[in-house]
Amino acid sequence: METKIGVFICNCSGTLNNIDFDAVVKKVVELPGVTSIKFISPLCLEEGKKKMLSCIREENIEKVVVAACSPEFKEHVFREVLENAGLNGHLFSMANIKEQCSWVHEGDVTGKVVELIKMAVSRTRLLQPVKMNNFSVNREVLVVGGGFEAINAALQLSRAGLRTTLLEREAVLGTGTTELENLCGFDINAMVMEVKGDENIEILAPAEVIETSGKIGDFNVRIRKGGEEISRKYGALVIATGYQTKLALESKLKSDVNIVSQEKLCHMLEDPELRIRPRTIGFMLDFADENSRLPTLATLNNALAAKRKWGSEVYVFCKNVKVDSERIERLYQEARDCGVMFLKSDVSPKVAAENGKIKIEAKDIFLGEDINLTCDVLVAEECLLPAEETEALSSILNIRRDSRGFYQDENVHLYPVASEKKGIFFIGGCRGNLDLSRVLTDVSSVVVSIYKLLSSGNILAEVERVKVDPQKCVACLTCIRICPHNAIQLVRVDGGKEVAEICDLACEACGICAAMCPAKAITFQGYRDEEILAQVETIGES
Amino acid sequence: MNNCIVAFCCEHSAYPAADLAGKLKLHYPENLRIIRVPCAGRVDLIHILKAFEKGAAAVMVMGCEGGACHHMTGNTRTKERVKYCNLLLREIEADGRLVAMFNLSPNAPHKFVGAVNEITKRIKESGR
Repeated sequence: METKIGVFICNCSGTLNNIDFDAVVKKVVELPGVTSIKFISPLCLEEGKKKMLSCIREENIEKVVVAACSPEFKEHVFREVLENAGLNGHLFSMANIKEQCSWVHEGDVTGKVVELIKMAVSRTRLLQPVKMNNFSVNREVLVVGGGFEAINAALQLSRAGLRTTLLEREAVLGTGTTELENLCGFDINAMVMEVKGDENIEILAPAEVIETSGKIGDFNVRIRKGGEEISRKYGALVIATGYQTKLALESKLKSDVNIVSQEKLCHMLEDPELRIRPRTIGFMLDFADENSRLPTLATLNNALAAKRKWGSEVYVFCKNVKVDSERIERLYQEARDCGVMFLKSDVSPKVAAENGKIKIEAKDIFLGEDINLTCDVLVAEECLLPAEETEALSSILNIRRDSRGFYQDENVHLYPVASEKKGIFFIGGCRGNLDLSRVLTDVSSVVVSIYKLLSSGNILAEVERVKVDPQKCVACLTCIRICPHNAIQLVRVDGGKEVAEICDLACEACGICAAMCPAKAITFQGYRDEEILAQVETIGES
Repeated sequence: MNNCIVAFCCEHSAYPAADLAGKLKLHYPENLRIIRVPCAGRVDLIHILKAFEKGAAAVMVMGCEGGACHHMTGNTRTKERVKYCNLLLREIEADGRLVAMFNLSPNAPHKFVGAVNEITKRIKESGR
């Protein structure tokens, strides 16, 4: 027996005035499977939803088509109504008669509206229910890294009640955190003490990850610690391996004692026994590496400190000063007010060492003049690079890196801290050039995401929405190779045959595997070949 | 399906772009029929060929911009499939340009309309 399909039409409070709804109703009633058709407007408000709900119940409607606005905005609203009425939320289609029909065409569009509803009905007839299920997950989290962001994340995760393991490559936690950032207000040593005293946090240091497998809620991680290998299970992984810096310098200048890094200058500024204060200091900024947010912050801080403490003449040679982080524009203004000179040049200045001094030749594009300057100390430009272990770790985790080698693609569609594999997150320096406020935002959003996923010990997910038919699968491995989310693996089924299996938790329902499978063994509920072809075949029938 | 254009639109880019075109009240030919897919990568050869079999004038596959696919590689894989489809059309001496892949971002309604106009122009040129 044909399932009963209910069609609900809405005219969005009268904004769709180039449609003859009486004619639409007359045509749609004749469609096979359609048992009831209701015109309710506006359908998405409380009253409309109530009417829709009672209609579904009274007329025993089994599947629903809504002809209204775009599913992008209102799909979840109507799906909720279906679920309240006891129907499966997937037995539902929308015909977009507002944004993609009435509003883009002038004149009467009744014919097109009927056809759009026809397409939706033909798809809906074939839809099958998708069940939801609770999958139990491991509530432990692994944080890789031992810097400020890793420690901060571990502390917050522990406060959220999740057992956390902190895995650091070095023997000591908290090293290398103050290199470029100004960690004002955060005492890294106190944080390390807090981590050590926390019962919920286990510290593995020095240790490294050598292999990972599994999926969200159930990662198997093999760890090498002091010559022995241990195997652990985690629900989620957080990568906070940070960055490293490299001086952008010609090799012949590298040994010069008067050319220093930002870190060295910091030490000089704090050194009470420094005998000779440099009278002229030059900084280089933004020539070798355009991603200079952190170096800019360090340059401005150090230039101001040198000006105030030593009263030196300070010159900053720069291509651009990038002021896109918190406080940095004010710092720039302060530096200018104090008399720090900013010299803007298009090309990298020529630097030469001469009689214990540094000679700099540059062309200022505002003055249009050549500038020759002799400095006591030159602070070289620093380029940000991903930490050493990034490359190895990315191949262990099977996660892509961007063109500069950091984690997390420059892909605008991805949530910034989440990787393409569900359950693996990034914080801070390992995903690029981030200042302190951005790092703190990262930490918070990762902690909240993980808390949402793991805190209850269960994740509600769709069961077998995308499914491999073990009878048809020939284990050609195509799907396993192409799945962008690493959600497919090979398993042995009864009878010894090996087939691909899709993990419901890790699957993001893109359907790439369904299109690629040469044996057509993969079905994607809602977007099966039959459902897409039914829509194609309905087009232009009338 | 006389002279319809079938557009397979990725729900992360082209579909919202089409919605935005509606909100801005831009105009495009009425014979466009949009089919929503979860990723351009879901579009298979059979879907495109079936549309032509049923008499579609042209088929558009619309996905995210290169390098910005929500599912990493969906748009590039389908681009190859569309290229193959071009060859198939040429083999039967039809205009291969009547099936095309377009890349756009969700905030590009004008690009969406431009793409539809472009394919309409190609249909006219091919004499259908």
